[in-house]
Amino acid sequence: MHSDTLVARAREGDKNAQGKLMQLWYKRIYNFAYKFFFDHDLAMEASQKTFILMHRNIGALQDPGRFKSWLYTIAVNCCREELRKNKAARSRSIQDIMPADGEESHPWEESRNRNENPDELLRHVELSDLLHQCLMELNNDQREVVIMKEYEGLKFREIAEVLNLSENTVKSRMYYGLDGLKKILEKMNITKETIGYEL
Amino acid sequence: MNYKPDESILISYLYGELDGQEKEKLLMYFQEHPEELIRLQERANVRKIMGALNDKEVIAPPIFTEGHPREVYFWRSAYFKTVLSIAASFLLLLLAGRLLGTEVNYSRGELQISFGGKRTEKPVLKEQQILTPAEIQNMINASLVKNTASLSSGWADHQKSMDQSIRLNLDRNSRKVDDLIRNTSQVSQDQLRSYVAGLQDENLRIMKNYFQLSSTEQKKYVEGLLVDFSRYLQEQRNQDLQLVQTRVNSIEKNSDQFKQQTEQILAGIISNSTVKKNSY
Repeated sequence: MHSDTLVARAREGDKNAQGKLMQLWYKRIYNFAYKFFFDHDLAMEASQKTFILMHRNIGALQDPGRFKSWLYTIAVNCCREELRKNKAARSRSIQDIMPADGEESHPWEESRNRNENPDELLRHVELSDLLHQCLMELNNDQREVVIMKEYEGLKFREIAEVLNLSENTVKSRMYYGLDGLKKILEKMNITKETIGYEL
Repeated sequence: MNYKPDESILISYLYGELDGQEKEKLLMYFQEHPEELIRLQERANVRKIMGALNDKEVIAPPIFTEGHPREVYFWRSAYFKTVLSIAASFLLLLLAGRLLGTEVNYSRGELQISFGGKRTEKPVLKEQQILTPAEIQNMINASLVKNTASLSSGWADHQKSMDQSIRLNLDRNSRKVDDLIRNTSQVSQDQLRSYVAGLQDENLRIMKNYFQLSSTEQKKYVEGLLVDFSRYLQEQRNQDLQLVQTRVNSIEKNSDQFKQQTEQILAGIISNSTVKKNSY
């Protein structure tokens, strides 16, 4: 996704390299945060904070090869901080459902899906929301691990490094996270058959 | 067999990260405990279902940062500025106090702040004499009389000095006028005559020069004019002569032609008559 040279240049204060890194990693960090919060605004806030901190502290990064885990460490900390701040008001805003300013379409009518069947689109959005809700049912520790492993593709070693835990602890959290998800999916009656989704 | 895999081994197997020997042991365990394999497969199904959750598209917003945090020097810190401003204010007060001679006294229950030295207390009259209106009137009258007398005496002195000054100025001016008239009348008739004679000589000299200059110029001009006229006449004569010559030549030419034509005609007539004679 990035080269060590790019990270090395960013470490030396090259603004272009830092901008390039941000462009490369923004989508990943945003999606990590979005799956963690299931809230666009909070995810944007956490992502932006992550990259501001990256910009400020990249000079202190010792090994460019560990940039990925270093960046996710910042992202996890930012997400936790945002979660603490917004614990009291943890609800879904109307902006998530209504079209944003300057946009005429609803979130489920994204341009990339315009050629698809509207019914299928709606079903897909609903399924995504359901799965998000399932994720949100997990506790924060398990959710972090599940997202990093399942959606961000980090290795257990990298997750352990990000969370400053042992690999066994991470695997254990993953195990119980999947266990918990299984129960949640069963409770919500979501199976391969019920969603009718071709897996 | 007492082997029972823990969660980390099962998860490693699920994600395909288990090494050879451990994997074999686990597979043997699954053979003995197929229900554990089913449970693991259920977790794999959960992964597949959760895999339907896709990424959300997002565009990275522009983030502006101030670059490296600026180093705040000690003398630029708010604390230093506050202390410095207090010290400067205090110093200013001290300086102003020194320049204005400010003194602050506290005595007999009163605080006195004075500028420009110590305040001298005016002597307080212990008893005020009480005067009657008549006495006051008398005092005013006496004062008025005194004032009038002093004014009139001053006025008379002033008048006298003015008169003296005017008289003196008049004398001085009349003396100056007399001197001027006397000087003017002393200019003699000889001086006047010599001045007029000088003027006449000067005029005569100028006129003489003018006429001399004028006659020389006229002479030169007339000579030039005569020369030009003679040249003109010469030129005219030459042109006339050329014209006459040309005319004479032309007449000669014409007479020659006429002669030839006459000869030809005569020859023609003679030849015609000869032919007629022969034919007869």
